[in-house]
Amino acid sequence: MSTRNSAGLSADDHELAGEYVLGTLDAARRRAVQARLADEPALQAAVLAWEDRLLPLSDLAEPATPSAHLWRRIERSLNALAPRPAPAAAPWWRNWHSLSLWRGLAAGGFATAAVLAGMLVMREMAPPPTTRFMVVLVAPDDKAPGWVVQAGSASRIELIPLGSVEVPADKALQFWTKADGWSGPVSLGLVTPGQRLEVPAGKLPALQPNQLFELTLEPRTGSPTGKPTGPIRYIGRAVKVM
Amino acid sequence: MPSPSADFDYEATLAACAGGRHSALHALYEQEGPRLLGVVQRIVRDRALAEDIVHDACVNIWTRASTFDPARGSARGWIYSVARNLALNAVRDGQREVVVDEDTATTLDARASLEAWHDMADAFAWQASAGRIAHCLEQLEPVRRNCVLHAYVDGFSHGEIARRLDAPLGTVKAWIKRSLAALRECMT
Repeated sequence: MSTRNSAGLSADDHELAGEYVLGTLDAARRRAVQARLADEPALQAAVLAWEDRLLPLSDLAEPATPSAHLWRRIERSLNALAPRPAPAAAPWWRNWHSLSLWRGLAAGGFATAAVLAGMLVMREMAPPPTTRFMVVLVAPDDKAPGWVVQAGSASRIELIPLGSVEVPADKALQFWTKADGWSGPVSLGLVTPGQRLEVPAGKLPALQPNQLFELTLEPRTGSPTGKPTGPIRYIGRAVKVM
Repeated sequence: MPSPSADFDYEATLAACAGGRHSALHALYEQEGPRLLGVVQRIVRDRALAEDIVHDACVNIWTRASTFDPARGSARGWIYSVARNLALNAVRDGQREVVVDEDTATTLDARASLEAWHDMADAFAWQASAGRIAHCLEQLEPVRRNCVLHAYVDGFSHGEIARRLDAPLGTVKAWIKRSLAALRECMT
């Protein structure tokens, strides 16, 4: 609970935090508290504890329907705030050496490690085929892990969902892989959101460390060109597991 | 309007906002927009200003989402604190400051004054409030309960509460002080 970090704070400061959240401090005292919050974690914890204590009282205010243009106004502000780079025109697999792609994947490393740790625990509990390679596929924008690829035996690899994914009705997720030295990605088939997919390993050469796996958004029947055409939804590379 | 149910993952939504997904903020706006506007409008008592503040709150939530720490409080509490702070800053900054002699405030015998207020009616239907707060509010005398609710829900200052209840300012200050202490003890 949030009170734990406010231990040791004086009763006066707890009360000050309460009056701050309640809203009864005058402008000068409000500003004084706001100035202290930046470098006093204990006071901050006391304020957050009061926010949570009093939050249910928010329901006493009658909800009001925002005017239709309010969201558009907010969205315009978000766009003005941080113009996002336009999607690259080249297919992703041509940006193979793109630094930002790999930086992004490295940033996902922490989540990857957490998922790997979880998977390894599961392995201990249910001794199954030895996993030699593992891939965690993360969303490129927020690095949220979405899928895991396991190559547990020489005969197949398995794509395992970590949660549910929404795909527009006229679209499908397509599973791709590309190892170093290949001319382009190879399709491993269409994926049903939320369901495992088994790929017989006979369809592809032996897995390599760093081999890339991707899920892209494609037309419902799959990419018309045999190469990825839509945006990347999940991406990851193979890690050798002892 | 969706209810503030356990079905909506406020934490994951903030994480997605921190990751730059507009759709996450939009989902949050769909989920909480009317309630946020209601809370803000009650405090600032002006529709256009309330929408300005909800706009600013959403932009703040977006830019500060990465600073939210789930170990230190709830995501929904954090979201409302952003909006309420902007609303309270707006009304307090425009207000003439009421100077209270602190000594007078604390030497007033607030408990004796309570007797006169014993039969005061509740100004809020607080009984429906979720969780522990309802139980703890019940332990307060109605007049002190009204002070807390006029402050939190209406955004009233000490002076405004004193005028609304026709009570001495120092007494109102003392009531609120003691109510907060009682609430913290009850809810810890």
